Amino acid sequence: MSEGAALAVLGPNGAGKTTLLRMMATLLRPDAGELRVAGHECPEHADRARALIGYLAHDPLVYLDLTAWQNLELFADLYGVPRGGIGDVLERVGLLARAYDRPRTFSRGMMQRLGLARLLLTDPRLLLLDEPYGGLDARGAELLDALLGAERATRAVVLVTHDVERGVALADRVMVLRAGRAVLDEAAAGLDPSAFRERYEALVR
Amino acid sequence: MSVRAARQFRALLVKDLRLELQTRETAVAMVLFAVAAMVIFQFAIGTRTDETTPFAGGILWATLALTAVLGVGRSYVPEREQGVLDGLLVAPVSRMTLLVSKAVAIASYMLAVEVVAVPLAGIFFVEGPFFADLGLLLVVCLLANAGIGILGALFGSMSLFSRARELVLPVLFLPSIVPVVIAAAGATHAIAGVSNDMAEYRGFCLFLGIYALVFGLVAYATYPYVFDD
Amino acid sequence: MTETSSGRRLAVIGTATAALTAVAVFGVFFVAPEDADQGIIQKIFYFHVSIAIASLVAFGVGCVAGIRYLRSREQRHDDVSVIAVGLGLLFSVLVLLTGSIWAKASWGTWWVWGDPRLVTFLIVILLYAAYFVLRSSVEGERQRRYSAIFAIAAFASVPLSFYSVRVAQSFVHPVVFTQGGANMPSSMVVWYVVSQVAAIGLFLTMLQLELIQRRAERRLRALKLQLERALA
Repeated sequence: MSEGAALAVLGPNGAGKTTLLRMMATLLRPDAGELRVAGHECPEHADRARALIGYLAHDPLVYLDLTAWQNLELFADLYGVPRGGIGDVLERVGLLARAYDRPRTFSRGMMQRLGLARLLLTDPRLLLLDEPYGGLDARGAELLDALLGAERATRAVVLVTHDVERGVALADRVMVLRAGRAVLDEAAAGLDPSAFRERYEALVR
Repeated sequence: MSVRAARQFRALLVKDLRLELQTRETAVAMVLFAVAAMVIFQFAIGTRTDETTPFAGGILWATLALTAVLGVGRSYVPEREQGVLDGLLVAPVSRMTLLVSKAVAIASYMLAVEVVAVPLAGIFFVEGPFFADLGLLLVVCLLANAGIGILGALFGSMSLFSRARELVLPVLFLPSIVPVVIAAAGATHAIAGVSNDMAEYRGFCLFLGIYALVFGLVAYATYPYVFDD
Repeated sequence: MTETSSGRRLAVIGTATAALTAVAVFGVFFVAPEDADQGIIQKIFYFHVSIAIASLVAFGVGCVAGIRYLRSREQRHDDVSVIAVGLGLLFSVLVLLTGSIWAKASWGTWWVWGDPRLVTFLIVILLYAAYFVLRSSVEGERQRRYSAIFAIAAFASVPLSFYSVRVAQSFVHPVVFTQGGANMPSSMVVWYVVSQVAAIGLFLTMLQLELIQRRAERRLRALKLQLERALA
């Protein structure tokens, strides 16, 4: 995938979308075949790939009992980015006021925003998102829209979603999975979202 | 170790210690457990005899072994919540750094318990002065904790993915930790009485060091395979 | 094809083992000189020690197979590993049984804490029983991976456990209770060697037997599945 490109992965439950994404995130090792992420062979050079990946899933991936600030400090250190950016990132996601509170006291939307902050902090070149709109509140959804729209230029995005229309609208390539196989893989450029919906339903029946 | 790995290690260790300090759940429970266990041992064995000094080392380390099981079981609990483990695994941190930071965290919890349990065991079970020996005992504790930490980090991470993990972990961990208990109890016993048998003490300490080394190597070789990647 | 070659291997090892075992039993009970102090019960020692060493060989095979599995992720190494560990466990139980019988005959008690070999095997049994507990609590590929890791860690535990038990015991019981070390007269040594080789042969035979059975079962299951799919 090239910079600015976005791939939408669609399919019914159990089709293997999450598994595919986790493989791309170097969390899983494929049973067969090759995997190259961000130009690096995995799993041998997974380390180098990981520095460039931003992964956001249904769970926000943050420690409930560390403060928001401490969480971001941890991830800053793990990714080797300077800690100076933490304040800015917190402000962007609207959590600066709660920087010294623990996610255990947050609402679901706020927790997911902190997860988004984790992502923004490391400025990843490859965004791997698994149903990201799921736990997001209004503010978070706005931010994510921006990431996927205006700020996409320097990144590549893989979006796993149930929302067929949104996937087609955002992406320039669409893949549909069914029972572990890709049954469709084509450019989304000329596709009309609602028309595509019918095709999709037919494919996954 | 590169500078970056050192920064990551420190961040991870700080994370574990902070979590512990801020919730204070595990260390306090472990200390209470250790004291309760020693009291039970006293009633189980000690009331039959006035001479409890020969048992002191044994009771202390039996207690600490059981406490270690508790501590290891609790040490991975934060990672189980909210998919946090994925957050760590997807970061560019080597699995070895994760293991070593956990091992040091576990060893730290053990030390916190020992700070209370060791003097207490001395008061409960040893006749005669023993405070001069506390420095020697500290060495024993540090060496034993190294082995406990390494094995605890390895088995603890495997138990993350097991069913019935509260049962699986002790079943794996306790038989593996027997040599540590034997050697640490032996070293403690060597200096618990009025006379100090330094040759015995040194021998047992050396053994503890070898144990930590051997399992350090085993962990180094096998840890990368614990996770699915 | 693999079946005939492994079948042939089994036949060869099996016959050799059977012959050796027969020779060993005959030799131990009828030819080897009787021990002056202990009498006929000492004979059990040949089997006790040779089974003990065979079980350690089994655990070693389990460890090596575990290493090979981790590197190659091939199922067959996990097969060898789990069977070897199971056999090692079985042999270890026999070690405790024979040791216990010997203890009862020598001292009237079924168990002695003073024998480092016996105590070590008790620990070993706990360790490798834990292997199976671990196996039953994880599934799929992870099961094989974790079994391999534990097979390696447990094997590293064995010498450490033995050494620590022995050193600890030596302070309490300065006399070494076990008998039959380097001081065996040569008339006994030859029969010991024969029983030892027979014991190892027994392990290899059972390993091969179990491997063949496992593969056959797997193939049968795969065929059943194919049949069902074809008929559906």
